[in-house]
Amino acid sequence: MSTVLQLKNVTKAFGEMRALDGIDLALPGDAYISLLGPSGSGKTTLLRVIAGFEDPDGGSILFNGKRIDTVAPHQRGIGFVFQNFALFPHLSVAQNIAFGLENREVDAVTDRRAVEGLVKDIIALVGLSGLEGRAVTQISGGQRQRVALARTLVTEPRMVLLDEPLGALDANLRARMRTELRAIRERCGVTFLHVTGSETEALAMGDTVLVLDSGRIAQSADSDTIYNRPASPAVARFLNCYNLFPGRLEGGAFVGSAGRFSLGNRPATRATQPAYAIRYDRVAVRPREAAIGENEVRVEGNFVASEYSGAAVNSFFTLDDGRVFEVETHLSHAAPETYVDQGRYALVWKREDALVYA
Amino acid sequence: MSMMAVAEQTEAETVAEKKPGGKALWLLAPGVLWMVLFLVLPMLMMVYVSFWTQTTFKIEPTLTLKSWVTFFTSDTYLGALWTTVRIWLIVLVATVLVGYPAALYVGLFVKNKALQTVLLVLCVIPFWTSFLIRVLAWRPMLGKEGAINMILMNLGITDAPIEVLLFSELSVIIGMTQIYCVFMVGPIAFMLGRIDHSVIEAAQDLGAGFWRIFRTIILPLSMPGVVVGAIFVSVMVLGEFATSAALSGRKVNLLGNIIVTQVGSLKWAFAAVAGVVLTILMGAVIAALLRVVDLRKEL
Repeated sequence: MSTVLQLKNVTKAFGEMRALDGIDLALPGDAYISLLGPSGSGKTTLLRVIAGFEDPDGGSILFNGKRIDTVAPHQRGIGFVFQNFALFPHLSVAQNIAFGLENREVDAVTDRRAVEGLVKDIIALVGLSGLEGRAVTQISGGQRQRVALARTLVTEPRMVLLDEPLGALDANLRARMRTELRAIRERCGVTFLHVTGSETEALAMGDTVLVLDSGRIAQSADSDTIYNRPASPAVARFLNCYNLFPGRLEGGAFVGSAGRFSLGNRPATRATQPAYAIRYDRVAVRPREAAIGENEVRVEGNFVASEYSGAAVNSFFTLDDGRVFEVETHLSHAAPETYVDQGRYALVWKREDALVYA
Repeated sequence: MSMMAVAEQTEAETVAEKKPGGKALWLLAPGVLWMVLFLVLPMLMMVYVSFWTQTTFKIEPTLTLKSWVTFFTSDTYLGALWTTVRIWLIVLVATVLVGYPAALYVGLFVKNKALQTVLLVLCVIPFWTSFLIRVLAWRPMLGKEGAINMILMNLGITDAPIEVLLFSELSVIIGMTQIYCVFMVGPIAFMLGRIDHSVIEAAQDLGAGFWRIFRTIILPLSMPGVVVGAIFVSVMVLGEFATSAALSGRKVNLLGNIIVTQVGSLKWAFAAVAGVVLTILMGAVIAALLRVVDLRKEL
């Protein structure tokens, strides 16, 4: 796969705040890439630097092998879909979509017939047929999202940047637009870089998932790798499905305020901060006096509350050091159990299921 | 819990059904009373008086068309009407030409909201002095031995003072443009400030250069501001008499000046005719301007 976009050591600071702290990445052509980061991790800044709305302080950006960091945004040929869609409020759906074709400085399409044809095709592609003449203030959120996308795609960019494109939609529509966005991208064959703060969205949509942590790319891998083997404690935290313990390695065990966890022969992943992580759904809740197996690890905790989400139940326990510990039980293989309020339980997992960072 | 929700719901329904009828209408009473007494009745009276019979020192409530015929057959009055329309159009164009770029700078290129406010307040500072002083201050500026002529001559740009600067139509236009420009800048800057910046970035991202974006996005989105500003400026310029009296040396007679002189010589019927004509003119101008943009949709 050829590289469409390459960033080399890109930095950007706002006053004291280093929004981008040496970003290196290479994005392949014809792929769906999601960029996951908590708010404040610099993900919007990264997109704006790539699009040209912000100038980087240092580093270089190559698009199709050419440096673009000094090129004006309107000459870069990179599409941008805004979180609030940024539709032109005084133009109709069709006029919004035709805007780029008619008004771009390079290769503007002057033939009206040609513009109409292209607009019609893209309207069919994104599923907006019949709404051409509507004002953009008179259509629903999902339809506006499609207009924003169509407006960008019709100009045939080689890459589209999407800034939390589903953030303004309600949950139902969000789920539907996920599949839709992937399908539209496959039909166009361009690279989508989709920025999101939602770990489920990032994992569900990206062929490749990039995780951004305080201005740096913390991990770049496929969804399965990200989910099962996060490269650092920070990535594990963003995924929102790991119990994390700080502490240190000490003679074949991980020692922290919650206790001593034996490690077996599992190698530790290198990280700046030692940490021990166990996924919510890898933990079993047992009565306090139940015995544990040889390769199992155990902590005790008091039951606080549980949250039913249909296919699973998430139960929350407080450990003796005050830390909250979360357990996810999938209801497809067990009926929901009821735990006694403030009752003490043993929380048990296999030691090879844990991830150790040192 | 569910009981509470039901109770809340019924309450919400009753609130929604209430209409602003009955007692709420009384809130309008002071305003309506005031407007009827001091706006509607005087206007009707003005129309009525314009048909009264005017003799040299007296006016009688005998209905006649004489004042109207005199107005529309006299070169003086028709000339004043034409001068009013001409000066209004020139000042309107001048305030847009001077005001729009300033508003564009304040409303679009100054990103800091506090600085925006400071700049707009700066525009209003001349209004801290009285109208008369602001108008008369132009005399030492524009006069034969005024500041502008002195500077031009000292720099060697001109040999003799430019006399047309003061007591001419030009001086009236210069003065009015300066005084009324701020009424154009304010509404336009306000509309420009409301444009979502990402809309402009989106246009940029789609490949449009600055002038294209200005013509296709910024200008249309700021039109309501231009129209509101134009209404302000039009209403004030059409009713003007002081600036032309002070700066034209009685060479420029606007309808407003006609009304002042006629009232001064107790010719109430003529003054009323001029007043009715002026009111109709203003109404027509405002109606035409409102046709350009549907303000109800914008505000």
